[in-house]
Amino acid sequence: MFPYLLTALAAVAAAIFGAPLRAKAWVALAVVAAASAWAGSTAIGVLADGAPRILWQADGFLLGGGGGSMDTLSALFVLLISLGSVASVLYSHGYLAHSLAEKSPAHVSLHYTALTVMALSMLGVATSDGGYTFLFFWELMTIASFLLILYDAERRETVRAALAYLIMMHIGFVLLVAGFATLDRACGSADFAALAGYFAGRNPLPLFLVFLLGFGMKAGLFPMHVWLPQAHPAAPSHVSALMSGVMIKTGIYGILRVTAQLADLPALRTAGLILLGCGIATGLWGILLASAQNDIKRLLAYSSIENVGVILIGAGVGTLGLAAGNDTVAACGLCGALLHTFNHSLFKSLLFFGAGNVLTQTRTLSLDALGGLGKHMPVSALLFLAGAAAICALPPLNGFVSELLIYLGLLDGIAAGSGVPAAAAGLAALALIGGLAVLTFTKLYGTVFLGAPRTHEVAESTEVDRVRIAAMALPLAGILLVGLFPQAALDLVVRAAGALAPEAARGTASLPPVMTAVCRTAWLLIAVTGLLYAVKSRAQRRRIRRTGPTWGCGFTAPNVRMQYTGESFAEGLQSVAASVAPRSGEGRAVDKSELFPAAHNFDAEHKDRIDALFAAWWVEMLRRINRQMMRLRTGKVNHYVLFALLFLVTVFLLSVFNLIR
Amino acid sequence: MMTTSLLNTLLACGVALAIPGLINRVRARLAGRKGIRFAQHLYDVRLLLRKGAVYSPTVSALFRAAPAVYLGAAFTALLFIPVGDLAPLLSFDGDLICFAYLLALGRFALILAALDTGSSFEGMGASREALYGALAEPALLFAGATLALVCGCTSFADLTAGALFVSMSGMHTAVVLLLTAYVLLKLVFVESGRVPVDDPRTHLELTMIHEVMCLDYCGIDLAMIKIAGWFKTAALALLAADTALMAFDCRWWTAAPLAVLLTGAAVGVVESTRARNKLVRNTTFLLTLAALAALVFFTGYLLQSDIEIR
Repeated sequence: MFPYLLTALAAVAAAIFGAPLRAKAWVALAVVAAASAWAGSTAIGVLADGAPRILWQADGFLLGGGGGSMDTLSALFVLLISLGSVASVLYSHGYLAHSLAEKSPAHVSLHYTALTVMALSMLGVATSDGGYTFLFFWELMTIASFLLILYDAERRETVRAALAYLIMMHIGFVLLVAGFATLDRACGSADFAALAGYFAGRNPLPLFLVFLLGFGMKAGLFPMHVWLPQAHPAAPSHVSALMSGVMIKTGIYGILRVTAQLADLPALRTAGLILLGCGIATGLWGILLASAQNDIKRLLAYSSIENVGVILIGAGVGTLGLAAGNDTVAACGLCGALLHTFNHSLFKSLLFFGAGNVLTQTRTLSLDALGGLGKHMPVSALLFLAGAAAICALPPLNGFVSELLIYLGLLDGIAAGSGVPAAAAGLAALALIGGLAVLTFTKLYGTVFLGAPRTHEVAESTEVDRVRIAAMALPLAGILLVGLFPQAALDLVVRAAGALAPEAARGTASLPPVMTAVCRTAWLLIAVTGLLYAVKSRAQRRRIRRTGPTWGCGFTAPNVRMQYTGESFAEGLQSVAASVAPRSGEGRAVDKSELFPAAHNFDAEHKDRIDALFAAWWVEMLRRINRQMMRLRTGKVNHYVLFALLFLVTVFLLSVFNLIR
Repeated sequence: MMTTSLLNTLLACGVALAIPGLINRVRARLAGRKGIRFAQHLYDVRLLLRKGAVYSPTVSALFRAAPAVYLGAAFTALLFIPVGDLAPLLSFDGDLICFAYLLALGRFALILAALDTGSSFEGMGASREALYGALAEPALLFAGATLALVCGCTSFADLTAGALFVSMSGMHTAVVLLLTAYVLLKLVFVESGRVPVDDPRTHLELTMIHEVMCLDYCGIDLAMIKIAGWFKTAALALLAADTALMAFDCRWWTAAPLAVLLTGAAVGVVESTRARNKLVRNTTFLLTLAALAALVFFTGYLLQSDIEIR
């Protein structure tokens, strides 16, 4: 197995390195599309009949045997990974076209090889049974994504962000290795399935927490989310889309896999409360910081953190439902969490592609330098609007369906009187998150795409190429399908939830009528709105329509710089939530006491308090130790030979005195 | 079934048309004036519907579509609300979430339309509307959660369908339900942009919230926004009236008049007797409302779990 894998990777790398510069994207796309088509069709087969498939079985794989199989849960994630990867690689063609001349061909080839490896390794992660095979693919995914972030390696902040990402991922990796090793020692197998036996015999919480932290690092769980807002702005947009839309979902996948093995009711209840608590903290922290951001990609990164929070709230509710024996609550929570995972991969990819369009056409991502792009890039603007409305969970799009399921789990819990305080906390948090998401995304869309252009570079921007639009249409199709035909989507996630907890599949009886009603409401909403618009347009055709300047409220010389900026739009919220996202910056604004204000120049930024944790004394201490250790690196071969000799002598002496065996 | 649903929708629309008239009448009487015609707001809207339009060169197609989305969402939201014991046209488990998110959709459209004009004043209104809308959301859902807790069901239609199987004693239920109705009535003030949160009659754009967002609208567009506002007000008012009556006997011929009278009187009296909040106070007002809703919810929970207090 392992040799075949290496050969295949080498073949892919050779094909990409050998291809002409412009064709590298198409080679990568061909490989990814072929793998995705195979994996996706298998996944659809698994979801259709519900029977797990064994994909590979290898005895001599790394530290022991490793197997790969696909059950309905894996199948859902495989579907999500396939869609996201194909869209990302397709998008990269147009996105990187402008920078190809600046980079060396080897650099570009390395990027596309990493992109292909990333897509394949994520498929490996979702189909591994666990253990060291899983860890192998997990590590491969981390390294590939690290290389992907480094595309613009000549920029200092890119290197910084990539290194921070690599270090944090390896802290998570160590936790996962520890978790799997403990499992291997106790049960003789490190598969996910062996966890059930481990959890049944011992106190499950320590190992559960180790896995939660290990996977949570990837998923961006609060307070381990700090890599996301650094890595996403540094990475190229299609990589951000792939990482934010798809890769962090593998963390969710791991958390769900581990939680599903808990059977003991008190432990299940504690796990549910932990997941719900993490979800609430992650969601609120993410959205409060997202609303404060002034960089499109940082804002989207924080919004991903928020959505991970929403997913975990769903998972927590579902787990609590399982613990309470309430099948309906369990079904709603788990199905909601799974569907939201799928949905988020769609709209977050779309939004990051949109951000990429803005970046290549205007050369900036700063909200307050943009404006009025809707007129210059109408198709991108429309697609971005759909993504923004979907992520705000507005009907009739897909975000609404999944959040409705999570809400239903919470409300059913309250109505049935089981776990009421926890459900109420989740409900309040989800409601606030929903409200603030509307604020955040109206700020984003309004400042970037609406109003008048704030600089002349923005005013001269043009629409992007057709291939990129096609790449964006792919997630849009998913958004519309799930939003307008929620019954089909529900069928899929109910199957997947069945792999997590068979009880949940039994509690779904009340859901199909709800989905039918949601579907009817969505179409009614569209029909009513369409009718109103048609009637209005028809009536206006016979009236006098004039064009006149925007009403300036008596002020006669308004200019584009006076428009409400993103910073001012969110100022009301920041005055309430200043303790979460304290404002720092250079210069100062106009003071109230200045009667005749002179020119002022100031730059405001909202910092994440958790960032401070990673710039604290212990980081400084590590840096100092590292500097001391670096003295050993003299660069002289004779010194290194001496070190080797010293090492051998030490080992010899230690074994002579029986200190090591 | 279909007939009662249609009657329900007609009644809800009737309530929506009657509330602004009553508010004007109450306000006039309290100020010692005779007041304008009861149906003056309908004539005003008819006038608007006959007018042409002026659009700014800054705006895009979104600005033209937003009023239709706003009205469409408000109308669809109204279809979920039962009038007393009548069955609404649309109903499913968890429809109160759908109701809340339809209102959010309308808000989303209107905020974007305001930002589309490129006017700093409209941006200001949009920013405020977004913040207050977000802060009002927990209060609305807590009120919904209280209803779910007390009645054991999650759709508006089941709540008022009559069969109230309640585990607590009648008196306790009545108190919790009346308090929930109070929270919902306060939400009417927030969502319809009335004193003390917003003043629809203010003359200074700097202090407006809802009105300043629609400054660039005229003619049919403005009429649609006004009608949508009536629908939103009516939906929440009916919800408050249903909740208040649920403890006693909830019938359509009591719920519809109560919704009109309650909202008309409450809004009219408050607008005549007190001033609008300072804008910074609005945040506190909304957070207090959310806290109140949470308090009512937990009171209901404690009463339901029947803890003996010694």
